[in-house]
Amino acid sequence: MQGFSDGAAGAGVGVDLAQLQSTMHTIEVACTSIQMHINPTAAEATILSLSQSPQPYKACQFILENSQVANARFQAAAAIRDAAIREWGFLSAEDRRNLISFCLCFVMQHASSPEGYVQAKVSSVAAQLMKRGWLDFKPEEKEAFLYQVNQAILGGHGVDVQFIGVNFLESLVSEFSPSTSSAMGLPREFHEQCRRSLELNYLKTFYCWARDAALSVTNKIVESDAAIPEVKVCNAALRLMLQILNWEFQNDTNSMKAGINVFSAGIRNDTASTKRSECVIVQPGPAWRDVLILSGHVGWLLGLYAALRQKFSQKFPREGYWLDCPIAVSARKLIVQFCSLTGTIFPSDNGKMQENHLLQLLSEILQWIDPPDAVAKAIEEGKSESEMLDGCRGLLSIATVMTPFVFDQLLKAIRPFGTLTLLSNLMCEVVKVLMTNNTDEETWSWEARDILLDTWTILLLPMDGSGGDAVLPPEGKHAAANLFGMIVESELKVASASVANDDGDSDYLQASISAMDERLSSYALIARAAIDVTIPLLTRLFSERFARLHQGRGIIDPTETLEELYSLLLITGHVLADEGDGETPLVPTAIQMHFVDIVEGEKHPVVVLSGAIIRFAEQSMDPGVRATVFSPRLMEAVIWFLARWSHTYLMPLEEANSHLSHDYERQLQSINSRKALLSFFGEHNQGKTVLSIIVHISMMTLMSYPGEKDLQGLTCHHLLPTLVRRKSVCHQLVSLDSWRDLANAFTNEKAFFLLSSANQRSLAQTLVLSASGLRNLEASNQFVRSLMVHMTTYLVELSNKNDLKNVAQQPDIIMSVSCLLERLRGAASAAEPRTQRAIYEMGISVMNPVLLLLEVYKHESAVVYLLLKFIVDWVDGQISYLEGQETASVIDFCMRLLQLYSSHNIGKISVSLSSTLLSEAKTEKYKDLRALLQLLSSLCSKDLVDFSSDSVEVTGTNISQVVFFGLHIITPLISLELLKYPKLCHDYFSLLSHILEVYPETLAQLNSDAFAHILGTLDFGLHHQDGDIVNMCLGALKALASYHYREVCAGKTGLGSHAAGGNIAEGIFSRFLRSLLQLLLFEDYSPDLVGSAADALLPLILCEQGLYQRLGNELIERQTNPTLKSRLANALHSLTSANHLSSTLDRVNYQRFRKNLNSFLIEVRGFLRTM
Amino acid sequence: MSDEEHHFESKADAGASKTYPQQAGTIRKNGYIVIKNRPCKVVEVSTSKTGKHGHAKCHFVGIDIFNAKKLEDIVPSSHNCDVPHVNRTDYQLIDISEDGFVSLLTENGNTKDDLRLPTDESLLSQIKEGFESGKDLVVSVMSAMGEEQICALKDIGPK
Repeated sequence: MQGFSDGAAGAGVGVDLAQLQSTMHTIEVACTSIQMHINPTAAEATILSLSQSPQPYKACQFILENSQVANARFQAAAAIRDAAIREWGFLSAEDRRNLISFCLCFVMQHASSPEGYVQAKVSSVAAQLMKRGWLDFKPEEKEAFLYQVNQAILGGHGVDVQFIGVNFLESLVSEFSPSTSSAMGLPREFHEQCRRSLELNYLKTFYCWARDAALSVTNKIVESDAAIPEVKVCNAALRLMLQILNWEFQNDTNSMKAGINVFSAGIRNDTASTKRSECVIVQPGPAWRDVLILSGHVGWLLGLYAALRQKFSQKFPREGYWLDCPIAVSARKLIVQFCSLTGTIFPSDNGKMQENHLLQLLSEILQWIDPPDAVAKAIEEGKSESEMLDGCRGLLSIATVMTPFVFDQLLKAIRPFGTLTLLSNLMCEVVKVLMTNNTDEETWSWEARDILLDTWTILLLPMDGSGGDAVLPPEGKHAAANLFGMIVESELKVASASVANDDGDSDYLQASISAMDERLSSYALIARAAIDVTIPLLTRLFSERFARLHQGRGIIDPTETLEELYSLLLITGHVLADEGDGETPLVPTAIQMHFVDIVEGEKHPVVVLSGAIIRFAEQSMDPGVRATVFSPRLMEAVIWFLARWSHTYLMPLEEANSHLSHDYERQLQSINSRKALLSFFGEHNQGKTVLSIIVHISMMTLMSYPGEKDLQGLTCHHLLPTLVRRKSVCHQLVSLDSWRDLANAFTNEKAFFLLSSANQRSLAQTLVLSASGLRNLEASNQFVRSLMVHMTTYLVELSNKNDLKNVAQQPDIIMSVSCLLERLRGAASAAEPRTQRAIYEMGISVMNPVLLLLEVYKHESAVVYLLLKFIVDWVDGQISYLEGQETASVIDFCMRLLQLYSSHNIGKISVSLSSTLLSEAKTEKYKDLRALLQLLSSLCSKDLVDFSSDSVEVTGTNISQVVFFGLHIITPLISLELLKYPKLCHDYFSLLSHILEVYPETLAQLNSDAFAHILGTLDFGLHHQDGDIVNMCLGALKALASYHYREVCAGKTGLGSHAAGGNIAEGIFSRFLRSLLQLLLFEDYSPDLVGSAADALLPLILCEQGLYQRLGNELIERQTNPTLKSRLANALHSLTSANHLSSTLDRVNYQRFRKNLNSFLIEVRGFLRTM
Repeated sequence: MSDEEHHFESKADAGASKTYPQQAGTIRKNGYIVIKNRPCKVVEVSTSKTGKHGHAKCHFVGIDIFNAKKLEDIVPSSHNCDVPHVNRTDYQLIDISEDGFVSLLTENGNTKDDLRLPTDESLLSQIKEGFESGKDLVVSVMSAMGEEQICALKDIGPK
């Protein structure tokens, strides 16, 4: 490697001009060859060696000033940055200042250079170095740099320098903003302190400088007819202002608490709304009021945009090109950003000032989007859409900071209608455009629709705390109803059109729902805002289509109608009910609160709509209708709808009292109407009938749609599990004939054996879970027994056959065995305290068959995997309930299983011509091993969670020994090759670190081979790329070393011979101390690991103090530079002595050592790594 | 060549059916299937619909278990496919003859001498090296639809 070091840098003596020139030449050649793509690796290495050589500053500065190759200058700047950040700790204060001022002067002097990217790089290097020294520099040093920048921005040195000045501030601000800062190997506190310092002391000043820079050039821009360089400055200044407004202001949050009540009127200050939308909320706090609000700054900005707009639309009335020119884009972005200004920057005057501020902005934005039809037409005729889209974004921002009511009122000051009406009209136009040119390409109307939908969502999502949905004024409701009508019309049109352009890859329900889910739930919010109108609308649309299907049966191709129904079912499902996300969703508040005048259940519009759909679904039971109408795809939507609907409406939980409104009479009425709705599908009304219908339909989809995996998957994974989720429904379910039919069909019917494996499993699980609906324990267990007994008997009989070996290989037998194992696994995973007995017996009865089958199917990896997974799930479900004796036999069984598996697989080599099959074989092995690791983890858990009456130890079982024995059996199978599978690797190391932490003493009892293997993997994990894995390994090391140290201190042997090492090999702790130090000092790792590395290092050092001293001395001896040598010695010394570090292993001491290690690394890594 | 083999093996496993019918929808990845009259291991299954409101069909990608060729098939998922009867038997390796045949010890004490060494280089060298160093080797022989081939070997270690 060439050395680019210029020796005694800083002193500047003895630097040979010829040497500098040759360095420059080498770098130039390397840069050119990268560009020409000639031997790029060598060229990269050359460039890298420049930045890695000690103190390369002279060479870099020489290149920057003299090289004609722009790329070489760029690389030189990068090298300055890398070297300076690394060596910062031991650069003198003067060197540091010189580097920054060199960069700053360089960019100012070469401000007019055509290679903008080099300038940008150099100014970002200056910004980074400035930040690196931010906390060390004295205020006057910072002032000196910033004075220079301010002079540039004032414009006295010409437009180019002005631009560079603004540009530098942009780099500086982004370097200080936590999300865009570079790590620089420093802890988070450093970045945080810098951030706070900039926010408090400089940010506002920078903003004013940017504003003044923009002000100084705007007149020229507005007056000039040609493109002038001032535009560049103005644009940069606008960008900087936008960037500053994007800053995550934090000093405002303190004052927010005090201000909460003040903003009750119309401004929402809920933090949830910021999380929901992409929209950034700008809350700079009261200190900014004078600059942003009171100074008329917004007026100036709007004036600037309006003037430019005016000028260009007069000059080029037919062309919209200027709308996309950078200055227009930045100005609009800034205007939109001002819409999201909120918080304590406004005084507590009931939101008056904020409303005025927003009104001012809205009246400008209005020109971009109003009248909607004309705007949409112009865009379709070729005008640029960017202004309109920014208008939509402005509305979104305003909606984010205002309540729906104030949002609506805002426009009324200048128009006869409210903002909601405008929003609705605007979106209707967008939807119309979408409808007419329905393409797959993403057009402007897509984007506009998404932004506007977000706006509606922000407005309509229930605000937290208040509990209820947002209530719109009557005019707003009307607007929402109109919009929903338009949306449904367009969705139906898209649906029926999509039938024609069928291109084979039709989307499946799950995929299409998740793709559309966000959109559909926004639609649902809009529909619920005007629920009185939209439910009847949906009912009408459904009945029209049902009628059309019946009239046209056998005559007209129904496909279009089917597709429309498919869409309608998805939309209606979202409008009527919420996704539970694992909880039981209530009937949406909007539906509970409306329809107050309806007290008879069957007339309730929601009941009418639901009833119509259920009756329609019921028709699928008729084979004739099914064949012509209920295509698999339509049926998927039906099943999906039934699942979602029944989760909310079927036998709902009665709420004791409600807290809906203050008006007593109204409340009473609304309670009655709610009751009518809730009880209609309740236990004592239609609930049972509907439940039975749903079970019949489910069974029919499993029997009459052979091979339709997606449909059956929905039934087995979605609809049926929904039914058994609530106890009240389970009670009814087990008393239904239809449910008994389903259970019978499951055990006997051939069609059920043809279901896909995952469906089998889920069905078994659902059926077992429903047993909880039976009144007593015995009945529940009996239900499970009779459900599963056929299956266990079959397996027992099969395994007892004399010619098992031949029979078992037949494909039909393999299929039934796989099928039964899936069912057993499903049942096993449904273990609950109530049915635990029956499931335990089920497993015990097939223990022998499982081992026999493992033997015969040893080459049939698919079956082996099923066997293992069944046992894993069964043990996982049972282990915590088992009594001592039972535990012993289960553990014995597991060990036999492990041994058998291991004897089949150890030393086995699969051979195939096909590389695909070989890699499949490897994957299968990985999956098996992962299952076995899970089995061991489950066994481990017996020590943590145990519900049995006696303790395991009574029967002489020691879980730790069992687990180590298991690990002993399977570790030889886990090769380093297999640890490349991330999940296996993760499971293996989490099990390993767990057992080393909990039972370090057992490790000592392992034989030396197994011990060596485990430590080998630990060493492998320590150098893994995944930080999690390294963390777990460090945890394991900490556990081992601290165990050993404590034992030795107590006068025991600890890990004994393993720790001391044999005659040749060194002890394990010496080995790990070496490799951990090597890692920490010389290799790359994430700074997050330092904490846990410290926790592992401390006990290691304590265990091997002699070696540690020796290693430390070696390090010091290797250092040739005397200053660095003494630094290193001091650092090593304070690592073990600073902060009153003692030689005990308690929490306080660990924490001290963490601190010490952190400062040690910052101190020495910079120069150690360059060696 | 294949015709010749066909005759030979139909005699060998007389009585046992070579394939079984199974519904296409139930055939999973890692299972077996007959495509174009060849026994294959399924490495990929995907389903699609015939038209938007039509029925499901399965698309199989299989790899011939003997010659490693990739084969594909599309079958309506409610229809039946043929599934080959794939048998695997373990034999102890007794001898490797000069002409490329192996001599295997069957369970009932006879020898089986009609199986050629595999053509695959790595397997070939592993078998040969293992055998020459005196290890006890067990080979697994996979047979289906009248063909057979060594598919794995295992060192059962010196006893």
